[in-house]
Amino acid sequence: MVAMAPAVSREKIAARINSIKYGAPADLSPKLDHLRRLREELMAADSLLVVELVSPLLDLLSDRLSPVRKFTTRMIGEIGLKHLQLLPEIIPALVNVLKDDTPAVARQAISCGFDIFRYSLVNVAIQGLYSSEFDDSLRSSWAWVSKFRDEICSMAFKEESEGRKLPALKFVESIVLLYTPDPNGSLEPPSDKNFQGNFEEFNVSWLRGGHPLLNVRDLSAEASQSLGLLLDQLRSPSLKSHSYLVIIVLIKSLSAVARKRPAFYGRILPVLLGLDPSSSVTSVSKGMHLAGVHHALKNAFESCLNCTHPGAAPSLWRDRLVNALKEIKVGKSVAQAANDMPENNGRTEWTRDSDISQILEDEKPSIKSLMEHGNTGRKRTGGLVTVDATEDDNSGKRARSTPGDLDGPGNERNQGQDRVPSSGTTPFSDVDSGPVQQLVAMFAALVAQGEKAAASLEILISSISADLLAEVVMANIWNFPPERLKSEGDEEPLTSAAAHTEMQNLEEEPPVTLAGGNVAHDDLSNTREHTAVPASESVCSGDISYPMETGYAVITSEVTDIEGRENEIPGLSSATEGDGLTENMDTIPKGSVHSDDANQEKSSNLGGISIETDRTPTELAQSLSTDRSEELSPKAATTDVSSLNSSTATSVGLASQLVLPKIGAPVIHLADEQKDQLQQLAFVRIVDAYKHVAVAGGSQVRLSVLAHTGLEFPSELDPWKSLQAHVLSDYVNHEGHELTSRVLYRLFGEAEEDRDFFISATAKSVYEAFLLQVAETLRDSFPASDKSLSRLLGEAPYLPKSVFEMLECLCSPSAGAISEKELPGGDRVTQGLSAIWSLILLRPPIRDACLQIALKSAVHQLEEVRMKAIRLVANKLYPLSTISGRIEDFAKDMLLSVVTDDGISTKEANELQKDENPSSENQPGSSATKEIPPDGHHMTASESSSSFTVVEVQRCMALYFALCTKKHSLFRQIFYAYKDTSKVAKQVVHQQIPLLVRTIGPSSDLLDILSDPPIGSEGLAIQVVNTLTDGTVPSPNLVSTIKRLYDTKLKDIDILVPVLPFLSKDEVSVLFPHLVNVPLDKFQVVLPRLLQGFNHSTPVLTPAEALIAIHKIDPEKDGITDACNACFEQRHTFSQQVLAKVLNQLVEQIPLPFLFMRTVLQAIGAFPSLIWKNPRQWVGFVKCAHVTMPDSFGVLLQLPAAQLENSLNRIPALKAPLVEHASQPNIRSTLPRSTLTVLGLEQELPTSTTQPNQSQTQTEEADNSEKTAATEKSKESM
Amino acid sequence: MGRPVLDNETWHFKLKSLREEISELSDRSEMKLRHAMVCSSNQNRSMEAHWLLKREGFDVASYGTGQHVKLPGPSLREPNVYDFGTPYKQMFDDLRRKDPELYRRNGILPMLKRNLSVKTAPQRWQENAADGTFDVVLTFEEKVFDMVLEDLHNRKHVLLKPVLVINLEVKDNHEEAAIGGRLALQLCQEIEAAGNWEECVDDLIMNFERQNHRKLVYSISYY
Repeated sequence: MVAMAPAVSREKIAARINSIKYGAPADLSPKLDHLRRLREELMAADSLLVVELVSPLLDLLSDRLSPVRKFTTRMIGEIGLKHLQLLPEIIPALVNVLKDDTPAVARQAISCGFDIFRYSLVNVAIQGLYSSEFDDSLRSSWAWVSKFRDEICSMAFKEESEGRKLPALKFVESIVLLYTPDPNGSLEPPSDKNFQGNFEEFNVSWLRGGHPLLNVRDLSAEASQSLGLLLDQLRSPSLKSHSYLVIIVLIKSLSAVARKRPAFYGRILPVLLGLDPSSSVTSVSKGMHLAGVHHALKNAFESCLNCTHPGAAPSLWRDRLVNALKEIKVGKSVAQAANDMPENNGRTEWTRDSDISQILEDEKPSIKSLMEHGNTGRKRTGGLVTVDATEDDNSGKRARSTPGDLDGPGNERNQGQDRVPSSGTTPFSDVDSGPVQQLVAMFAALVAQGEKAAASLEILISSISADLLAEVVMANIWNFPPERLKSEGDEEPLTSAAAHTEMQNLEEEPPVTLAGGNVAHDDLSNTREHTAVPASESVCSGDISYPMETGYAVITSEVTDIEGRENEIPGLSSATEGDGLTENMDTIPKGSVHSDDANQEKSSNLGGISIETDRTPTELAQSLSTDRSEELSPKAATTDVSSLNSSTATSVGLASQLVLPKIGAPVIHLADEQKDQLQQLAFVRIVDAYKHVAVAGGSQVRLSVLAHTGLEFPSELDPWKSLQAHVLSDYVNHEGHELTSRVLYRLFGEAEEDRDFFISATAKSVYEAFLLQVAETLRDSFPASDKSLSRLLGEAPYLPKSVFEMLECLCSPSAGAISEKELPGGDRVTQGLSAIWSLILLRPPIRDACLQIALKSAVHQLEEVRMKAIRLVANKLYPLSTISGRIEDFAKDMLLSVVTDDGISTKEANELQKDENPSSENQPGSSATKEIPPDGHHMTASESSSSFTVVEVQRCMALYFALCTKKHSLFRQIFYAYKDTSKVAKQVVHQQIPLLVRTIGPSSDLLDILSDPPIGSEGLAIQVVNTLTDGTVPSPNLVSTIKRLYDTKLKDIDILVPVLPFLSKDEVSVLFPHLVNVPLDKFQVVLPRLLQGFNHSTPVLTPAEALIAIHKIDPEKDGITDACNACFEQRHTFSQQVLAKVLNQLVEQIPLPFLFMRTVLQAIGAFPSLIWKNPRQWVGFVKCAHVTMPDSFGVLLQLPAAQLENSLNRIPALKAPLVEHASQPNIRSTLPRSTLTVLGLEQELPTSTTQPNQSQTQTEEADNSEKTAATEKSKESM
Repeated sequence: MGRPVLDNETWHFKLKSLREEISELSDRSEMKLRHAMVCSSNQNRSMEAHWLLKREGFDVASYGTGQHVKLPGPSLREPNVYDFGTPYKQMFDDLRRKDPELYRRNGILPMLKRNLSVKTAPQRWQENAADGTFDVVLTFEEKVFDMVLEDLHNRKHVLLKPVLVINLEVKDNHEEAAIGGRLALQLCQEIEAAGNWEECVDDLIMNFERQNHRKLVYSISYY
């Protein structure tokens, strides 16, 4: 514009246009290059040349490439702007461009139109103001411009694509603005006629004096009409056809219009307020986007609320706007919940919003009344606007920290105004949340009404959650009045007053002191954060806290106290109101009884004052500063006199060395440590004060406040330690659980909010430390039966690793710990386990971790601990379907660990395992065992043998056995494992089985297992069967199972033995040969079972039948004779009668049983009377002996002497050979003396041993059966 | 009203032509959209997205809306505060000097290293008028979203050029920022592929929300 390039030749430009026009159609970038250069050239060219070149340029608008068209459009727009006389030529072309297929090109045309229109309007307006004459060209161009304007406006309200419609709507908005007077603009037109282009300044009211072309009234009418059209877009029928994008643009446009032209409030706001995007949207499925619309609406309402222009009559709309805002928030939170976007769930802001809006909903009546009262004064209502909060903060702080400004409030205000309105985040606006500020304002407004509003206050408080109330209190602390320092001159008297009232209002002390401490701190951090703040300010801010340290600590802290209380009372009394509002209210006047009337009056005014400070800070700070300083001085003077005594008394109590010098300039610089120490002291004091206020009630709120305070405190000073000490010093009476959980939740929230890495990391570590410490103390100081620990763990937001470790130690105490304490651990273990149990039930996410602990405890080396854990696991946990699988796997792995680590080829065993039970390997939970086997290994290593000790094996197996009693099918695994276990393990199994099996009983599962026991587990099966049948009548099922097992698989008669008494006679007969076949000792067991039956019921076999059965067996088999012998040994059973009966029956068999003779002889040996008391048989016997000489000698010699003599007498022929036989030295030596006497060979004593005799008899054995029988008999008699 | 008005005017003109110059640059390559990534400190979330989009050849810039650039410090109350415009390199050196172990562990140093490979220094959104117009502004926090909208609203609307402002909520930590960056890239790709976003932004955003289970809020403003 300024630096004109040398004129460019017409030809050159024309050539360039042509090269663009006829250049390769697809070649974009060279064309754009040309265009750019063309633009530069045209800008530099004089108007004549431009006029000439316009028409070829316009041809470019039909270029095929949209970027070329767009660029050309822009260029033409610029030309039009510069050469208004060309507009009649240009505008038709631009109107055509409006219909371009490419929205971007059309948009460019609208943009050009906007520029041209504004420029022309201003131009025409100015021209008309200073000259009544208009040249025709200007007239015609204005006509064209108006036409263009109409075209664009019509686009805004037609069915157009969004790309065209949006800028058109924006265009309409700007027309409305241009055509209506700006209440904030200058009313007088610029004096300079050449005022051009600066349309920002343009105000249509310039034209009110009259204008040849433009009539203000017409323009207004037109604007009004356009506005009407815009509003119609948001009304019912057309609203449905819009996309959200259009709706948002409309809302934004309208709110902008409303704000800039407050006169339109009455037209625009009803439409916006009546807008219900959720119900009138094209399709319900679009519901997800409502957020954008709501957001736009919310911003619109908020900005409208902020507008204070009287023309807007904001008070008329405030109620509705506030309500609408609330509804939006509710809707938002509902939509939030409905959409259930997990990513957003963690955002506390949302929930907080919804909380509050919920409360607000509940509290509608009281709020309404509040609104009504509030409306009476403009200042009061202002506080409802959230944005005010930050302003409030800043000016408050500023005022507070600039005591130098005391005399110049104007100066102070200037500072306030220096701030850029949209300065973005100030550090504290981060902290402020809108709803809380609203609540604070609401409280303030209610309190301001005094007693009248007490009821509504009560309702409001009772409906707010404690946490929220705490936030309100914290937020309110920011609102401490700025004038505190202004009374510095009166410090001394003030102090006494403060100390005095403090005593009376003891219950109020903690929050107040807290407030004071915090204010000081805030100032510090504030200055730290605001690096831009002038240095003087930071020095001043030091004023507040510095004096507190060096001996004047009391003074200033008291100052803060009283200041804090005076302004805090409204909030506070409301906070504790649930417990007795009136009491608190009363304390205020009481406190000031000693002071004069002015003071009293003042304190009753306090509510109002503090509220006002909430609202319009700059103004009020100013008014207050004069107000207060006037009031304070007399009061101070009086209190000084009246309460000097009490002040010294309390001061001494509070700080040991109290010096009260006259302070000239209380600016004392403290070292960092001193500041820290000061803060720490303050906090400790707050905490200590809590001990006293427990009786006052309202603990919910107070605890929340305390938790919040901790968070606000610098972390370096570790406020948590003192808090912890407080909690733990008397957990029960200090509401330790409540406070702890509040602190934990607060910290957790901080960590989760995740504002930045460090804050959340710190909060997290503090959280962990806090929880752990409290938990440990609970564990150590409370009796084991106390449930506090488990309750705490159950309700904490989450449990860090350290807590798990602690629990683990509790549940699985190390051996050393136990032995030291002589097993007090027993109870502790129970405590730990019950905590674990409740955690498993209550907190599914950490179930696995807890289960690990329980399981670990279940294989603890101490039996006591183990049994407790096993009881828990098996009885309580195992029935829970979700974790039973894991428990099972763990137990199984433990079981197998004993088996597989057992010296034998581990690998093989494993593979075997896999083949037999593939599922066992696939299940997850092998991880569970990972921790344990090392333990086991360790043990074995220390045993210095490869296999486990009995104890060790028991340790690992106990859990599994316990589970077996719950789920019988698990028993099978024991069978599988059994085969490969070591002796030790087998021993343990055998020890356990009776107990286990007895508990289980003959369940179907067990029978199942028994019917098909794995190879190698026969011994176990037998034991199981034994146990099962021991002392009871086995079920038919069991019997048949065993029988079947024996028949099909397990050919070991042992398995049958226990059930023999319960088999039928036929079955036993079939089995009998096998029975006889067993080793003698076993047969001796079997036999009585068969014969006695069970519990003396009918035996399966009578003794006679048994003996006969033996004789029926194929004699080739081994053991028959043994069996016979066994029978004969039991003389009670196989009595004389029985034998007689047997013999009689046997005799009748043909052929005689192989063993008949032997039996006969045995029978004789056993029951001689059978024969020798039966003379006929006896004769037969003797004859028989005679016939079978000399083989019968052996038998004869064994007869008792009397019988021998008798037989020799009967057949004397026997004697000589017998004597000869007996006199052989080796025989003779074996014979009893009586026999020798009978034989007449009586000499010395027989030396010894049956040996020779036996060997002799054995040689005889081969000869015949009778001989064998004889030998047997001899054996028997020995 | 004589001279100052003129000065003001020339300034406005210069500014406008500068803006146009820049938007022209974007026109050059077939109406490619210009993107801005905005978070509060222009360090983590916006830079992650900037880095990704830049790598993918997008026309992208990034900003912060905070008063200062804040980085975590040794304790809760001692953040490292820098002014916007302080080069990343300088912050990097500063923190490495202070406590290399801490800042490496909490990921600040690696982040700064990444950042200095993307651009020189953090920029403040409220001071970006000279950077020209954007078509799409992506914010990563509702507060930032509001501030961007407010700022745009307070600027003079001269060009009538619409700008789509979308908020994608992303937590301010490294992991979430990485996820957020990828989502931002996807979103920008979809917007760019759509051609005229004005026509289809509702559907586009809805689809994106459905696919990624994220909630977006968008608005529109004008330059």
